[in-house]
Amino acid sequence: MATLPTISENAILSSHGLAPSGLLVSLTPLSGEAFEATLANLALAFADRDFLVITPNATFTTLPASAHIRLTTYTPSTIVPSGCVLTPTEFLDTCKLMQEHASTACLLLGPEAQSLAPEALCALAEAAVPGNADLVTPRYSLGPRDGLVNSAILYPVARALFGTRSRYPMAIDLAFSSRMAERLAACAQKFAAPNQSATLIWPVAEAAAAGFSIVEVPAGARTLPPPAAADLNTMLAQVAGSFFADIDAKASFWQRARFAYPTRTAAVARAEITPVQPATPETPDVQHMLDSFRHAYTNLQEIWSLVLPPNSLLGLKKLSLLPPAAFRMPDSLWVRIVYDFILAYRLRTINRGHLLGALTPLYLAWVASHLLLTSGARPETTAPEKHIESLAAAFEIDKPYLVSRWRWPDRFNP
Amino acid sequence: MGQQIVFALRDSMHRVLIKLASFLPGLLALLVAVVILTAVGALLALILRRILTAVKFDERFARNQTVNVADWSPRHSPSVLVARTVFWACVILGFIIGISALDASYAGNSQIAAILIPYLTHSVGAILILLAGTVIARFLSRSVLIGAVNLQFQYARLLSLGVKWLVLVLTIAMVLDHLEIGGTIVDLAFGILFGGIVLTLSLAIGLGSRDLVSRSLEKNAGRSADPRTATHTAPENDLADILPRTAASQPKPSETLRHF
Repeated sequence: MATLPTISENAILSSHGLAPSGLLVSLTPLSGEAFEATLANLALAFADRDFLVITPNATFTTLPASAHIRLTTYTPSTIVPSGCVLTPTEFLDTCKLMQEHASTACLLLGPEAQSLAPEALCALAEAAVPGNADLVTPRYSLGPRDGLVNSAILYPVARALFGTRSRYPMAIDLAFSSRMAERLAACAQKFAAPNQSATLIWPVAEAAAAGFSIVEVPAGARTLPPPAAADLNTMLAQVAGSFFADIDAKASFWQRARFAYPTRTAAVARAEITPVQPATPETPDVQHMLDSFRHAYTNLQEIWSLVLPPNSLLGLKKLSLLPPAAFRMPDSLWVRIVYDFILAYRLRTINRGHLLGALTPLYLAWVASHLLLTSGARPETTAPEKHIESLAAAFEIDKPYLVSRWRWPDRFNP
Repeated sequence: MGQQIVFALRDSMHRVLIKLASFLPGLLALLVAVVILTAVGALLALILRRILTAVKFDERFARNQTVNVADWSPRHSPSVLVARTVFWACVILGFIIGISALDASYAGNSQIAAILIPYLTHSVGAILILLAGTVIARFLSRSVLIGAVNLQFQYARLLSLGVKWLVLVLTIAMVLDHLEIGGTIVDLAFGILFGGIVLTLSLAIGLGSRDLVSRSLEKNAGRSADPRTATHTAPENDLADILPRTAASQPKPSETLRHF
């Protein structure tokens, strides 16, 4: 049972007489140096306004001289291990503290927040002031080898099903309005029990389902915090499982929703005008991932055949026979694989733990294909961001397949 | 002589027919009880489901639940779960009443009743054990297969099959023991088979990873020989050092990747 967060009585007040902006900045637990650096960045970002910072860090630090910061500590209602994502408890505590301080907007910063530039902090907060957007997500400038699960599954699926354009649905930092905070807290309340601390909240999907406005702002480079579990299988099962469960819970929304998708050409053109990271100069060593896929192909066919239709299995067979130089997983195949796994998750075709475990080698095959395609070693080389945009467009085009099979799962599917 | 044989046969047939005649009403009572209670259960489940749907039980339950019961219920609906529980409770009640009626239709000193009734209950127990064993064997086999494949063990399928047959052999031995078939032969055969499978798996794993074990021993011996060089190392690093044949030892390109 989660308890209320308790606020420290000896809050430091260093207001310089400016009118309160109604902005609350919520920090996750940070180390001493990181905490000080974050405060310094916040002071630079909001030099002309008064704002409140809440932090679970028990020890106070010296505030920047020119800052209009009111700093308050609180005891989290539930102690959960910090990972690379925001936990339900953090949403819950932040919402309660927003209500107590009558804040109109909140900037929730995750681990390693000191690496965010003051301009990014300012842009996030500005977009969330009342009258602008309900949810503001950052668009980080990450390398082509970063956030690959986000690129392979989370972003394209969220875009196709919920009609959102947020490049990082599993954002580490967010800004949101008070009504969005209430919505997130209501969602987090279900998962605030200690035994459900591993459950993730999907703010972008929540905002889309509630009909709230979502804005994405450029946030520049950011240091990604290390995930709670070092093992890819565990993390992928946790993140994909939570995401699939959220899709299942919001089925009535995304089945009915009609989004004005841009055409494939337009989507690709958008990727071209978006500043993209340079492709990896050398040929990546993907042999380990290809071995993993081929090994799984010889052993997991029995399990995959319970989930995937014959057409996808045939595609995987062809893929397993390709030499490394020509290895390329078609976007349409990956789209069908992800959609069929979402369906199998919903229908409980096999045990959900087994299902998500069987997804790992297929995901590694996609990663290998993506890296080879964007490495610059082939004639058909494309920029990483452009490939991800075209993949997202493929997910949008094939959405009717998911809707159809969701409604009539027993219908013949070649 | 011939007359005596005919008489003995007639007498025997007469006795069998009498016993069959006394057995059939009990069997019929069992069937009638099961059919009636199944129908009653279906009716009750239907009524209950309509009532629960009318009072929006699922929505109310979803708002107030502390544990995610919907995950365990068919079609994620607690109403369906309640309705099915009532239905199957009625079916089981029908079986209990039917078996009791079958038992009552015999005289207390009847030889058939003394053998048949306990055997019937044992058979039900044996079927349940067999079902549970099969489900557990399949679950464990898949768990081991997926886990081993993701760890890139070359003998993943062998491990999976080994675990599956270990559980199946154990289940079959339990079923036969429950039915009191075979006596000590089953115990003996089970011991041989179970031991054989364990030995096979041990040999397969042991021979397949002898380098790993020898390196591990060498490493430990080296540490104990020179305590001054003993420094704290992360367990993952230890594993990476001693796993020459698995993926952990190779300088993986995924080390430079950030999946999350």
